[in-house]
Amino acid sequence: MKKIALSVVSALAIAAAGPAAAQTLNIGHLADYSGGTSDVGQPYGQGIQDTIAWINANGGVNGKKINSDFNDYGYQVPRALAAFKKWVGTDKVVAIQGWGTADTEALVAMVTKEEIPYFSASYSASLTDPKGKVNEKSERAAPFNFFYGPSYSDAARAMVQWAAEDWKKKGKPGKPKWVHMGANHPYPNSPKAAEEAFAKELGFEVLDPITFALTPGDYTPQCLTLKQSGANYAYLGNTAGSNISVLKACKTAGVDVQFLGNVWGMDENAAKAAGDAANGVVFPVRTAVTWSGSAPGLAAMKEISKTSDPAGTAYRPVHYLAAVCTALYMKEAMEWADKNGGVTGVKIRDGMYQKPNWVPKGTEGVCKPSTWTATDHRSTTSVDLYRAVVNGPTDASVAELVKSGVIKLEKVATVDLPRKTELQGW
Amino acid sequence: MQSQLLVQLIINGLIIGTLYGVVGMCFVLIYKASQVVNFAQGEFLLIGAWVCWWLLTAWDIPFFWGFLIAIAFMMAFGILVQMVVLRPLIGEPIISVIMVTIGMSIFFQALMKWMFGTFAQPFPPIFPVAQVNVLGLQVQTAYLMSTGVSLLIMAGFAWFFKYSKMGLAMRATAFSQQVAQSLGISVRQVFALSWGISAAVSAVAGVVVGIVNGVSSALSFFGIKVFPAVILGGLDSVFGAVVGGLIVGLLENLAQFVDSQYLKWGNLYEIVPFYALILILMIKPYGLFGTRDIERV
Amino acid sequence: MAITSMRPCGDYRTSYRADQTIFATRLTLIFLVLGIVALCFAPLFFSRYVLSLMIQIGYLGIAALGLNILVGFSGQISIGHAVFFGFGGFASAYLANKGVPVPLAIVLAGLWTTIVGLIFGLPAARVKGLYLAIATLAAQFILQDFFVRAEWFTGGTHGAMAPPFELFGYDLSGDTRYFYVVLFFVVVMYLGATNLMRTRDGRALIAVRDHYLSAEMMGVNLTKYRTMAFGISSFYAGIGGALYAHYIGFMSVEGLDILFSIQFLGMIIIGGLGSIMGSLMGTVFMVLLPELTGALASALQGSTIDQVLHLKDGITYMREMLIGATIILFLIFEPDGLAHRWRLIKAYWKLYPFSY
Repeated sequence: MKKIALSVVSALAIAAAGPAAAQTLNIGHLADYSGGTSDVGQPYGQGIQDTIAWINANGGVNGKKINSDFNDYGYQVPRALAAFKKWVGTDKVVAIQGWGTADTEALVAMVTKEEIPYFSASYSASLTDPKGKVNEKSERAAPFNFFYGPSYSDAARAMVQWAAEDWKKKGKPGKPKWVHMGANHPYPNSPKAAEEAFAKELGFEVLDPITFALTPGDYTPQCLTLKQSGANYAYLGNTAGSNISVLKACKTAGVDVQFLGNVWGMDENAAKAAGDAANGVVFPVRTAVTWSGSAPGLAAMKEISKTSDPAGTAYRPVHYLAAVCTALYMKEAMEWADKNGGVTGVKIRDGMYQKPNWVPKGTEGVCKPSTWTATDHRSTTSVDLYRAVVNGPTDASVAELVKSGVIKLEKVATVDLPRKTELQGW
Repeated sequence: MQSQLLVQLIINGLIIGTLYGVVGMCFVLIYKASQVVNFAQGEFLLIGAWVCWWLLTAWDIPFFWGFLIAIAFMMAFGILVQMVVLRPLIGEPIISVIMVTIGMSIFFQALMKWMFGTFAQPFPPIFPVAQVNVLGLQVQTAYLMSTGVSLLIMAGFAWFFKYSKMGLAMRATAFSQQVAQSLGISVRQVFALSWGISAAVSAVAGVVVGIVNGVSSALSFFGIKVFPAVILGGLDSVFGAVVGGLIVGLLENLAQFVDSQYLKWGNLYEIVPFYALILILMIKPYGLFGTRDIERV
Repeated sequence: MAITSMRPCGDYRTSYRADQTIFATRLTLIFLVLGIVALCFAPLFFSRYVLSLMIQIGYLGIAALGLNILVGFSGQISIGHAVFFGFGGFASAYLANKGVPVPLAIVLAGLWTTIVGLIFGLPAARVKGLYLAIATLAAQFILQDFFVRAEWFTGGTHGAMAPPFELFGYDLSGDTRYFYVVLFFVVVMYLGATNLMRTRDGRALIAVRDHYLSAEMMGVNLTKYRTMAFGISSFYAGIGGALYAHYIGFMSVEGLDILFSIQFLGMIIIGGLGSIMGSLMGTVFMVLLPELTGALASALQGSTIDQVLHLKDGITYMREMLIGATIILFLIFEPDGLAHRWRLIKAYWKLYPFSY
């Protein structure tokens, strides 16, 4: 039955596309709009969808249209797996825009085998080692996994470095204390080893990690322990939902700690939900500016945004911009592949290696210069750190709050980490 | 310093425990009346919280009225759910009914995301003072309100089940549906009402959690958190649910204390209630206050 | 619960032997063999997408059958099946990485999981019904925590690599080849369960479910059989999980959450409690449901209906709602599961046009 339905659909699709069928490039787009990570998955997925639509409306990939199959997998591995098999088996996709830790990790071996570049929004450092075993801490090879932005580990290292400088600048006595907070779970734990090792190296006293679940709840006990431990810098490893709970509980408990968020742990919406509890949280941002900033490349971003918001009034959170950049890198790699022997998975991968300090055309000042090489998939080791500033009640839409300056994301530092091989892959 | 931390954690445990107790009560109420384990309890919290949030932000209704309207809405909603979804399943195996509540939870989870978006949303500031000092512990005013309201609800329940006609009818139905029916009690009404009350009380808890943490779909996880509480107290004891809630609240906080000060294992806070659960079930298989109809084998 | 022994009139057995056969009639056997032979040719005709769905149905179906033995046949509810599934996967990956050949590792993983299942089945000796269900919920959380902690065993939060399936040096990974591996296991495990149900042990399980007092009076050791049901169920879950691990090549704690456990429950309830083939039907239903709604959603995307109603993102949410609603409606109108409906259809054709 399913088979019949599928063949009917595909027959119709072929009939409708007609002779132009050869001119389309199939890709898969995995997104989470309805599952556990939908709060950040929705803006990111929207960014990918808008960019693909915009590319198609503006000449496509050297005239070829991208045919993206959207799949909301609700953050469930079996559904991601089924989608993947459909894409390799039926659609013959040349690339995949993926999403989170769950699907990316589960599919590493399979995308390697099928030779399909997988652009994830999971920035786990274990995806940055294309050869495998670049050093003893690197777990496995991931030659077809790409992501745009610093890895979770590098972002955390950057924050450690910033914290060390911050401590010096404030001229406080003694050793600063560092603590990792988060659920005992693949995502929050991803940068833990890297961050704690680096903190020790820079002279921090590393305290026992404090655990809190990935779901909102009462985290007063954790905050009281945090307060009692006398920590100075606390890294929040979880996603936004539970971080909001912790920030609020700690504010109520009167904890005086510099919180450091992670890429998916803080954004404009989380700052709004946490209100003044989010004030002062420092976190990494992947693009050079946010939606309200000014850069030549933002004009293109606003054009892309209009594909789903013709009025042009929507405020796009940081994840949207990162998604647009990711999709545009894929597009330019496809263009290179097209000119160099045809758009296949392997050629797209090679396309990713072509330009050092690569910025997609028209996004200058937004997408940060990135370099992928055949031996190193760390796109960048330079990390922009921002501080969330919330000064006032947050009972309006994010767009208004940012406009009125109640919520501000201000840049505090750019940390340039050395690109060392011994820090790759973990 | 350590003893001060311990005191603060105990206070926090009691406050949170009351909240667990209230959600547990909702759970028990439905189970007692209709023998249904409601896996959609968390979604009831969620819907209540979203409705109240929507009334407050979209219509600028004062909190007190918005809160009442949300509760009334949830009451009607609970009754409607019982009538439309669960009534056709009366007499079907319990496990099918459980699955239906799981289906409902999937359905409402998606519906809420569609209607209210995927982002966590903060409640507008409600209380003039956001936090109050209780014996050295800074406590969110919302939690204090919840403790107050919970105690009121518990007292209300006690009166309702002991003296009111409907409450007695509900107890009779819980005891034996056939006998109750033959005595002229409308079992349908009792079922519907128990779902209505349960949903309404859930809304109270949902709003409190929403005020403290912001409203987001993940809030429904509270529904699963109360399982240990309910089992500890005994599935069919309203009083037991409250005690179970308090115990779980305290256990969580004490586990955090022991973990952070001595053991340093991490994650005890999450896991300890479940170990306690297994332990208690081994000693008292029907929970602390449950009816002893579970024979030892 | 569907009465499995209900048969149309005229279908009677005259000996215990006849009553206990695995295959009710010769025709059933013929159809079964033909079906399996036909499935052997499936990789020639179906795309890899369909094959991968079939593989998924295979390993999930094995695990679901295990749960059905526990819930449907011995009457004990478990809300922690996913962690036993996961344990099997981790155990098999661990063993295979230690140098044990994969086919053997899968079987050993099943046995290891059996032991774990027996441990968590111990409360079954004392509690039953919903209390037991929630004790298994504790297993869910405790084992999930264990997976993250036991770095030597599971690779901790990083997860464990599972080597591909090899038999006598012949690589059997990849959809077309792995399909046969899963098919083999499905046939063996399903026949095993069918066979189990006609032995003393199997019938003792059913007796415990239907009336434990009578069962005990007839000399059935309740504690033994209740705990044993947990063991068998975990064995099936472990095998299913191990097959999954070697299919994906990777095992991670992520995804082994309570939602996954609940999905297993959904499979057997929809398929039919206490029905062996029902477990498979329910799995087919639960695996295909998101795929069908997904196909529907992408067909709707950008169509006229979408444009008129401005659905856009709503379609993704409607898809989830459809999954929930299908389960609800299904249970309201088909509370006995697919297996029951299948029997009715069979009876209808058998007796056509004189159905009663």
